[in-house]
Amino acid sequence: MNGKVSTDRTVSVHHLTRVEGHGNIHLDAKNGEIKRLEWEVPEAPRFFEAMLKGQHYSDVAHISSRICGICSIGHTLTSLKATESAFGIPVSEQTTALRRLAINGENMQSHVLHIGYLAAPDFFGVGSVFPLIGSKHNDTVIKIIKLHRLANEMSDLVCGRTVHPINMVPGGFTEYPSRKKLEDLLLRLPDAQDTLKEIAAAIKEISGAILDFSRETEYVALSTKGDYALYDGELTSSDTGVHDGDYLDFVEEYFVPQSTAKYSRHARESLMVGALARFNINGNSLNAAGMKMANFMDLKLPCHNPFMNTVAQMAEVAHNIEDCIVQVRTLLEKGVERETLPRIIPKAGRGVGVVEVPRGILIHDYTYDDVGRCKKANLIIPTNQNHGNIQKDMESLVPTILDRPEKEIELLLEMLVRAYDPCISCSTHYLDVRFV
Amino acid sequence: MEFVLDKKSFARFVENLLSDESLDVEGVKEKDGKFVFGHLDSASDLRLDHDVTLIPPKKYFLPQYETILRYDLSKPFSAKAEKEQKGKVLLGIHPYDVAAIEQTDRVYLDDYADEGYRRRRDITIIVASDILDVSDRSFAAAMGTHRIYSGYDLLLTDLGGRVVVVVGSKKGKLLLEKHAANLAKAASPADLGAADALRDSVEEKYARVLKVKKEKWVELLEHSYGHPLWGELAGKCMQCGSCTMVCPTCYCYDILDETALDATKGKRVRTWDGCLLQDFTKVGSGEVFREGNTERFRHRFYRKGLYIPKRYHFTACVGCGRCATACLPDIASPLEVFNGLHERRSESAGGMAYALPETEKKKKRFDHMPACATIEKVEKLTGMEKLFEISMDDGDAFEYDPGQFVEVSLFGTGEAPISISSPPSGKSSFELVVRQVGNLTNKMHALKPGDKVGIRGPFGRGFDVSKLEGKDLLFVAGGIGIVPMRSLLAYVLDDRNRDRFGRVILFYGSKTPKDVLFMDEIRELEKKRDVTVKLTVDRCDEGQCWIGCTGVVTSLFPQVEITDAENTAAIVIGPPIMYKFVLKCLETLGIADERIYVSLERRMKCGGGKCGHCQINGVYVCREGPVFTYDEVKTLPEAFE
Amino acid sequence: MSEKSKPRVAIFDFASCEGCELQIANIEEEIIDLVNLVEVVSFREVMKEHSDDYDIAIIEGSIVRPMDVESLKVIRKNAKILIALGACACIGGVNRLRNRFTKEELFNEVYGKTGFGDNPLFDVLDETKPVDGIVPVDYYIPGCPIDRNEFKRVILALCEGKKPELPGYPVCVECKKNENVCVFEKGQFCLGPVTRAGCDAICPSHGNSCEGCRGLIYEPSNECVKEVLSRYGLDYEEMTRRRNMFNCCGREDQ
Repeated sequence: MNGKVSTDRTVSVHHLTRVEGHGNIHLDAKNGEIKRLEWEVPEAPRFFEAMLKGQHYSDVAHISSRICGICSIGHTLTSLKATESAFGIPVSEQTTALRRLAINGENMQSHVLHIGYLAAPDFFGVGSVFPLIGSKHNDTVIKIIKLHRLANEMSDLVCGRTVHPINMVPGGFTEYPSRKKLEDLLLRLPDAQDTLKEIAAAIKEISGAILDFSRETEYVALSTKGDYALYDGELTSSDTGVHDGDYLDFVEEYFVPQSTAKYSRHARESLMVGALARFNINGNSLNAAGMKMANFMDLKLPCHNPFMNTVAQMAEVAHNIEDCIVQVRTLLEKGVERETLPRIIPKAGRGVGVVEVPRGILIHDYTYDDVGRCKKANLIIPTNQNHGNIQKDMESLVPTILDRPEKEIELLLEMLVRAYDPCISCSTHYLDVRFV
Repeated sequence: MEFVLDKKSFARFVENLLSDESLDVEGVKEKDGKFVFGHLDSASDLRLDHDVTLIPPKKYFLPQYETILRYDLSKPFSAKAEKEQKGKVLLGIHPYDVAAIEQTDRVYLDDYADEGYRRRRDITIIVASDILDVSDRSFAAAMGTHRIYSGYDLLLTDLGGRVVVVVGSKKGKLLLEKHAANLAKAASPADLGAADALRDSVEEKYARVLKVKKEKWVELLEHSYGHPLWGELAGKCMQCGSCTMVCPTCYCYDILDETALDATKGKRVRTWDGCLLQDFTKVGSGEVFREGNTERFRHRFYRKGLYIPKRYHFTACVGCGRCATACLPDIASPLEVFNGLHERRSESAGGMAYALPETEKKKKRFDHMPACATIEKVEKLTGMEKLFEISMDDGDAFEYDPGQFVEVSLFGTGEAPISISSPPSGKSSFELVVRQVGNLTNKMHALKPGDKVGIRGPFGRGFDVSKLEGKDLLFVAGGIGIVPMRSLLAYVLDDRNRDRFGRVILFYGSKTPKDVLFMDEIRELEKKRDVTVKLTVDRCDEGQCWIGCTGVVTSLFPQVEITDAENTAAIVIGPPIMYKFVLKCLETLGIADERIYVSLERRMKCGGGKCGHCQINGVYVCREGPVFTYDEVKTLPEAFE
Repeated sequence: MSEKSKPRVAIFDFASCEGCELQIANIEEEIIDLVNLVEVVSFREVMKEHSDDYDIAIIEGSIVRPMDVESLKVIRKNAKILIALGACACIGGVNRLRNRFTKEELFNEVYGKTGFGDNPLFDVLDETKPVDGIVPVDYYIPGCPIDRNEFKRVILALCEGKKPELPGYPVCVECKKNENVCVFEKGQFCLGPVTRAGCDAICPSHGNSCEGCRGLIYEPSNECVKEVLSRYGLDYEEMTRRRNMFNCCGREDQ
C-alpha cells in the first residue's frame, strides 16, 4: 500500500471466551480510521422482571438468585435486603455477621475464579487453565484450586450451598454453621493467605507489566466510615461524593441497539463499578493484608487503568481472608445461637437493597402489594453499569494500539473486557427498555 | 440385677461414658422440636422424655449409607472390606425399638448371617429406656411392645429424681461397673415397684385401639388379597417411600458402586431401599415386576402381617407409629389399615394362601465381599449371548446344584445374578451364559480370558436331583431358559448319572434360528437314542436355514407322546409369558403340579434373602428359588404375572 | 487411557445463569481427573479454543430465541451424545415462569410499545423451552444448580461406556435418611414427595423446603393432593406457586 504500513484492522470476537455470558467485540479500521468499534452483548434475554411478577416475597430471593450462578449469594443478599426494607423486617447482629461472612466468601470465590481460571491463562499465554495442568505451572493451578475450594466451602458452610444459597431467608437463617466447623475454618484461613501470596508471586513473575493504559472515569462504590464496604454502605462517586436519596436519581440506564443489556451513566459519559472502583473509593480502608497485597502488586491510589481491576481483586481477596478471620473469631466468641425467625407481616410498599457484589454495586428494588406479592421489580446489575465504560475504554485504547498486529489488538481487547470480569447473563436479566 | 442412680449420679454416669475415648456415645436428643438419635456432646443432651425419634436406631446396625467395600480399578482385582472398630453405646432406645432390633437380629443373624450387621451389633451396647411420653400415632401397647423383658444390655426407667437401671446382659453389667462404679446403688423394692408402676401407667396413655389382634393378621390377610381397600388407599399414595424409610422393621436395601472421577478408586455402598418405590423390582433388562402402585402398596402390608410372620414367626410391626406420622395422605398406619380390613371383611374379593417352600436350613456366613475369579474362556453364542468359563482363584472345588445362580461382580458397575449353565463338575470352574441387556452384562461382554471378576455364591435352591431319579424327564425351554436348564440336562445325560433317570425329552423354542443357543450340543443330543429333541422358532425370516418347526413351544407337545405321565417330571424354564401356556399343556398331559419344576427370574440382589428385591409374594427367589415346583408357587399371584 | 480414546466434550450455554457450569469448576481438584478422562474441546466460559468436532455435547440453559434453536440443532447434529445440564436445560426451570405470559404481553410489559421486536437479538419464541423441547436429549443432569457428584457420576459412566441412571425415587427418601423434620409438619409446602431425588435432599436438610428443581417424577392423584393439603392446612394456591418456580406449566399459572 504505497509503501506505507497498513493500518487496516479488522477484529471480530464472536462470543468472547472466559467471561460469564455472551459478548462480542467488533473493530473495523480503515487507514487508521476507526469505522466501527463496538462492545456487543447478544445474550439471550431472560425476563426476570416478568418472572418475579406476582411472586410471593418468600420466593423472590430464590428466584432472583437464579439471575446469576457466579454471584447468586450477592443476588440473594440484595434481594433479602430489599424485601426486609419493604416490610420493615428486623435483622439481628448475628445475621448481619453471617451475611458479611457470606459476601466475603462469594467475593473470594468469584475473584479467585476470575484471577485464576479466566484472567491468568492470558498471563501464561494459554487458552485456558487446562493446558497448565501438569505443566511447570501445575503448582500454581493446584494453589488456585485450593483457594477456590476454601472459598466455596466457606459459602457451603454459611449458605448451605455456594451456587444458589439455601440457608438465607428474609429475617435470618434457616441453618447455622456449627462451632466445630467454624473452628476448622478458622484454622484454614491463615494458610489461605499464604496460598494467595504464592499465587500472586507466580502471576507477578510471569505476567510482567500489565499494559500501561489509563483513562480516568467516574468510579462508583458503596462506602462506610472506616470500613471497606461490601455488605452495607452509601452510594459514593469519585466525581460527586456520597449520594443520599433514591438510587434511581443516581444512575441513568439506557439502551443501545447492539445489546440485550442496559447501559448506565451518571456524572459523565460512563462509570465504572467493581473491585477497582471500590479500591479507588475505599482503598484507604483496606485491612493490613489487603494493603500488603496491593503494595506487592504495585496497585496505588488512585488507579485509572482498567486492566488493574484484576489486581484490585487480588487485594480484595487478601482483605476478605483477613476480614473472615476477624468475623469468625467474633462469631466464635459470642457463640452462634439458633435464632427464631421474625414474624413477617407483608405490607404494600417499596423496598430497595444495595450490596457490593464481586463485580460492583447491585441494586434490587421491589414493589410489593399488601399480601406480599411482588408487583414490580427493578434490578440494576454491576456489569450493566460497566458496559458503557468498556465501550469508552475501547474507544480510548484502540487508537493507541492500532499499529499493532490484529491478533495482538484482539488479545488486548479481550483482556480489557475480561479485566472487568463481566457477568453478562446477569446483565440481561431484565429489559425495561427506554430509549434515550 | 437392678440398680438405682439419683439424677446427678446418672448424669455423671453419662459423662463418664462420654469421656471414655474407646466409645462412641449416641443417644436421643432434640432436633427442631422432634427427636433423633445422634452423637451426644454432654449428658444434658440426652432426652429420656422423648416420645419417638424421627428414624429408628436401626441406622446403627444398617446405616443409611454403608461402605461395604472399597475397590481399586487400577489393579486386576482389589477390594477391601470396611470395618468399624470403635464400640458404641446407644442411650434411650424405647422398648418398641428394642423389639424391632430383636426382629432384625433374627433376619440378619440367623442363617445367612450378614457380616456387617453382626460386626456392628457385636460392638454396640443397647441402653434402653422405658417410655415416658407416648407419640400420638403410636400403638405399641396394642402390639405388646410398650414394655420389654429382653433385648437390652441395660434398661433405664427415669422416675424423675432417680433412674432405675436393670441389667440385661453381661455387656451391660460391665458397662455399669466400669462407668458407674461408685454411683449405682442396689435398687430397693420401692424403686422397683415405682418403675413397674410407671410401666403399667404407660399402657393407659395409648389411645389407639387395634380391632384385630396381631396374631390374627395372618388369617386376615389370607382373606384380603383382593380387598378393594388396597386400591382405595393406593389411589391416595404418593409413592414417596417415607413409610419404609422411617420403619424400624423394614430392612430392604440396595447396593451401588461409586467410582471417583479418577476412574480408579471407588466404593460399594449399601443404602436403604423401599418396596413402595417404583424401581424396586426393576431388573437389568429394564423389566419391572410388581409394577402397579396398588400391588406395591399392598405388598408392604403383606410383608408386615403375613410374609414375615410366616417366615420368622413374628409380626413385622412394633406399633411405633412413625409411618403414620410420616405419611402425608395418612394411609400408612398398619393399625388403621388392618382395622379397616377387619371391619370391611365381607368386601374382600379373593384371598391368597401359600406354604413357605422348604429349604435346607444351614447356617452360612454371608457378606458382600466377592471372591476373585478368572475368566478362562469366552465364546460367542449369538449376537446377544456369550458363554464364559470362569474359575475360582482359590482353586477349591466350586460346589453347586444344577439350577443355582451366582452373583457376578464387576467393581464400578455392580453385581448381577446369573444362572450357572454347566453341570456340577467338582472342579473350581463353571460356565455362565450372559445375555447383553444392561450396564453390567455390557461390561461383561467386553471381558477377555485372563480378566478378573468377583463371584458370590452359589445362591438359591437348585434342582433336587434325588426327586427326579427314576423319572422320565420332559424339558421345556423358551429362549434363554435353556441356560439354567443346560446344567441339569448335562448332569442327567452324564454317563455316570444317566442310569438313574428315565427317558429325556427336550422341547426348545427360540425367537428365530439365529437365537438358538448351544446348537452344536443339541445336534449331539439328537443323535442319542434315549433322548428326544424337538426345536421350534417363532419365525424364520427369509433366507434363514431352519429344519425344525415354526410356532410357539407349545406346538411341539402333540409331536411327542408322553407314555407315562404318572412317572414324568417336567422342567419348564422360559420367559414369564411362556409359563401360562406350557402349564396348561402339562395339566392336559396329567403331570402333577409337584412334578413340574420352574425357574423364576427376579431382581436377586443380595442372594441372602434380605434386600427384598426378588420377593414373589412371600417367597424369596434367591432363597427358596429360583427353582420351584409349580405346586409351591401356583397360589402366589405374583409368580407368573 | 490413551489420548485417542478420550471422549471429546463440548459445553454450551443458552439462557441460564451459568451456575451449573460453575458447578463443574466447583469440583475443584477433580477437574484434573476430569481432563484426564475427557478432552474438553469447547467450554466458552473457561477456554478460548473451540472445536465443532466432539462426541459429547453438554447443554446448559433454556431455549428462548429462534436463533438459539438453530445453534442447538447444529450442536445436536455434531454430537453423538447430548446431555442437558441443569434445570433450565432439563425442564426449563425458572425461565419457564415467563410462559405465564404471552409473547404479546411480554412485549407490551417489558419492551414497552417500542416495536423493538425487529432486532433478532430480541426475537423470542412463544414459549421458553427446555432442550428436549427442540432436539432429543440422551441424558439429563437435573437440578438448580446441578449436584457436583451427580455430574461426575454421569460423565464417568459415559466414559466407561455405561448408561448413566438417575434415582427413580423422590426426595423424601433422601430427606428421611437425613433425619429431617418433615417440612409439612412445620406447616410449609414441600415438593419433596414428587421431585426426583439425587440432591441428598439438600434444601429440606438446610431448613428450607424442596422447590422441585430436579423435576417432578410423579403426578399424584387429585384425591391425594386434596387429602394432603387439607391435612396440613395448606391451600391450592400455595402449592401451585411452589410448583411453578421450576415446573411452571404456562398460561394457566398466571
